[in-house]
Amino acid sequence: MNDNELIDNIANKEYEFGFVTDIETDIAPIGLNEDTIRFISAKKKEPEWLLSWRLKGYQSFLRQELPKWQNFELPAIDFQQISYYAAPRNKKKYNSLDEVDPELLATFEKLGISLNEQKVLAGVAVDVVFDSVSVATSYKEKLNELGIIFCSFGDAVQEHPELVKKYLGSVVPHSDNIFAALNASVFSDGSFVYIPKGVRCPMELSTYFRINAENTGQFERTLIIADEGSYVSYLEGCTAPMRDENQLHAAVVELVALGNAEIKYSTVQNWYPGNKDGVGGIYNFVTKRGICKGDHAKISWTQVETGSAITWKYPSVILQGDYSTGEFYSVAVTRNKQIADTGTKMHHIGRHTKSRIISKGISAGHGNNSYRGLVQMGPKAEEARNFTQCDSLLIGDKCGAHTFPYIESKNNTATIEHEATTSKIGEDQIFYLNQRGIDSEKAVALIVNGYAREVLNQLPMEFAVEAQKLLSITLEGSVG
Amino acid sequence: MIKDLTIPLYGELENGFDTLIAAAGRAKEGNEVLKGRKTAFHTFTERGFPTIKNEDWKYTNITRFLKDDFAIQTPPANPSTGLNAYVHPEPVDHALVAGAGIESLDCYQLTLVNGNLLSADGASHRLPEGIRLITIAEAVQDPGLAACFGHSEESEKYHFTALNAALFSNGLFIEVKAGFSLDKPLHIIHVFTSGYNLLVQPRHRIVVNRNASVTIIESVVGSVPEAKLFVNSLTEIVLEADSKMDHYLVEMAGVNSRLVQHTMVSQKKNSVYNNYTFCLQRSDLLRNELHVLLNEEHTETNLYGLYLASGNQLVDNHTFVEHRKPNCYSNELYKGVLSEQSSGVFNGKIHVYKDAQKTNAFQQNNNLLMGRKATVDSKPQLEIYADDVKCSHGSTVGQFSDEALFYLRARGIGEETAKGLLINAFAFDVTEKIKIPELEAHVNKLISGRIF
Repeated sequence: MNDNELIDNIANKEYEFGFVTDIETDIAPIGLNEDTIRFISAKKKEPEWLLSWRLKGYQSFLRQELPKWQNFELPAIDFQQISYYAAPRNKKKYNSLDEVDPELLATFEKLGISLNEQKVLAGVAVDVVFDSVSVATSYKEKLNELGIIFCSFGDAVQEHPELVKKYLGSVVPHSDNIFAALNASVFSDGSFVYIPKGVRCPMELSTYFRINAENTGQFERTLIIADEGSYVSYLEGCTAPMRDENQLHAAVVELVALGNAEIKYSTVQNWYPGNKDGVGGIYNFVTKRGICKGDHAKISWTQVETGSAITWKYPSVILQGDYSTGEFYSVAVTRNKQIADTGTKMHHIGRHTKSRIISKGISAGHGNNSYRGLVQMGPKAEEARNFTQCDSLLIGDKCGAHTFPYIESKNNTATIEHEATTSKIGEDQIFYLNQRGIDSEKAVALIVNGYAREVLNQLPMEFAVEAQKLLSITLEGSVG
Repeated sequence: MIKDLTIPLYGELENGFDTLIAAAGRAKEGNEVLKGRKTAFHTFTERGFPTIKNEDWKYTNITRFLKDDFAIQTPPANPSTGLNAYVHPEPVDHALVAGAGIESLDCYQLTLVNGNLLSADGASHRLPEGIRLITIAEAVQDPGLAACFGHSEESEKYHFTALNAALFSNGLFIEVKAGFSLDKPLHIIHVFTSGYNLLVQPRHRIVVNRNASVTIIESVVGSVPEAKLFVNSLTEIVLEADSKMDHYLVEMAGVNSRLVQHTMVSQKKNSVYNNYTFCLQRSDLLRNELHVLLNEEHTETNLYGLYLASGNQLVDNHTFVEHRKPNCYSNELYKGVLSEQSSGVFNGKIHVYKDAQKTNAFQQNNNLLMGRKATVDSKPQLEIYADDVKCSHGSTVGQFSDEALFYLRARGIGEETAKGLLINAFAFDVTEKIKIPELEAHVNKLISGRIF
């Protein structure tokens, strides 16, 4: 089969020069081939080197097969049935909040999102009063003063090609895995952040406030570079339920922390999980990886995953610099027929590197939640240290919780600790709360929040409050 | 899957199977057994030998241990009944057998050479009435037992067990009668020896009937100074309701031997199975697979293991506990000391089925990395599909603290002795579980002898 595709490629090459890019068209024809990639690249006015990088990604995509090791049945994905480029679609605009789905509004209400934010999220035409634009502009000025670059990936390619060229694919190469290869060849847009030497970014950068914010769609690519001694905290996603027509999401996130730099990356993901029977829903197959390139660098991943039909990602850290630190904090909730296969990889290469993994899985309904993690101590990782804790909470007797930790040590001075527990919410705990007039649903929410506290505490403050509410809402109706 | 010519053994197996079957046929094996061998062989040829792409063999590259030319051991052609039938063709190193003996332990003792019962050992005659002990070569002729050796999904499940089910040569069939308790431990000494490259495939079956109990100690010794020996053994243990078995395994196989040993235990209601595995061997490769199926309620399972490795050794312990029914308890503790450039692998899997409510399953694995180039790969694994359970696992990799060493050194204890003390202390958690004092002393002595 692969041979045939290769032959097809060679055959298609004859048309290479005859191919005319139709700049006027906004949607690439369905299907994936080199022409699609050339079309996307031309559309975005990309330089030659980026196009050839995309094509290399496409070649490695063709070479790879879909993995089989995951702990769930991978749904059949027809890569030829996807449209790989569409200009930012105009969302349906409503005139007022009254027209918006009341269910959505109720959720906003529970999350405590302000009226103006609600309008933006639901796609209501924002009136002049709400000055999101001016907010964004004032932020932009402030960031510019400090020399921080925060823009869309497309802009970065045009304005800072030297930085993009230097770091693109340096952490997640185009051949990393089949989904990363797919992303490399067809990525639409994403965010780009560069923090100059010694600068501490004064605010949380988030896609929500992103300048030039546009719907970047299913193949996002994020690249964050923290130069020596700098600090940045980046937020991705939001607590509000996100609906999207695209089923497959294969994003790539690359983080580069140079000496003494610190990157904190927080994700709250609440994409459409499909209905009760597991029909529909997003496949969230993301490749996230960071590298601590210099000494004393630090990268920290925090994630709260409540949405998507399938969440499949392992945010990892390569600890190359001596004394560098990697952290991973995760809460993953699955209910109905949701599946989560998530965890992290910590590659200890440098001396005295440290890593800490805290993973909390919550399964309810027919949900299946797997933690899969790798802790690797290289031969030069003198005195390296790892601590891993992964706990699973089961709510209901039809769900599953699984742990697959891989521990590999090639250095006898390294120390690794791993512990995992699985249990259900104690009836006595619920009874205790019932006794005090708290109904079972609220009691579960309380217990779950207490259970996930260690991770939620890692989120930036305003996010943490929302995430906490999100957990309670997600688990609504799963008790009793 | 390895099927190509990089492994000459593979071709040899494929070509030689008919000859081997003919030998088995001469030995008057029942049709059912022969059919079982054929299906198992078919399964094996489909699968081939595992590679590191196979999840269960990720850390153990078996290819390099299979590369040599191996002759395949055939089943004895004409086993007459009676235990005195077999005489090993080559003289057996008596020092080896003596070394495996446990000082001042009152027990029943048997010796097997490459899976064949050694006749010189008259010990079996002294076994009480409550125990039936015959060789596998005899058992396969018994129509009543044919079902045990015929086609079975369970025994064909893995690469090496399928190969064994197809080509097993000999071994022991032990049945403890209902309600009988064996008064003394039964000590089985497995000797593996050969003057030329040989693949040995013993198969054993132990059945403990209702309300019966037994203690079995297995010691594995071997000497292959000039050739390579590959052992692929399969032991099936059936514990009927209310039965109990203490199972000790002392691995002491020598250099040039490679062992892949699969033990499959199935437990019925209220049964108790305790396994104690001590890997103190000098063999190039030791892979133990311990697979426990909890088929009925209220069972108890304790698995304790200790593994030491040095030089270029690879020691790999895979355990798999399947909680299929509610109210079962399993507990596991494995500890390892890896020195020089040896490698250790631990894979502990617990699977809790949907109906297995009220399951308690615990697992712990601790590793001490002594050598600069020693490596360890640990993969504790939980798969849980029931909610009312208590399961946990823990795994650590580290080295003993410099403070502890300094404390001992400051009191005038030499470095080597101090390290020995610390290793003994580390191993103590496992060795203290041994219920037979004589055996505990024996194992401790072996550990001390093994460290330096």
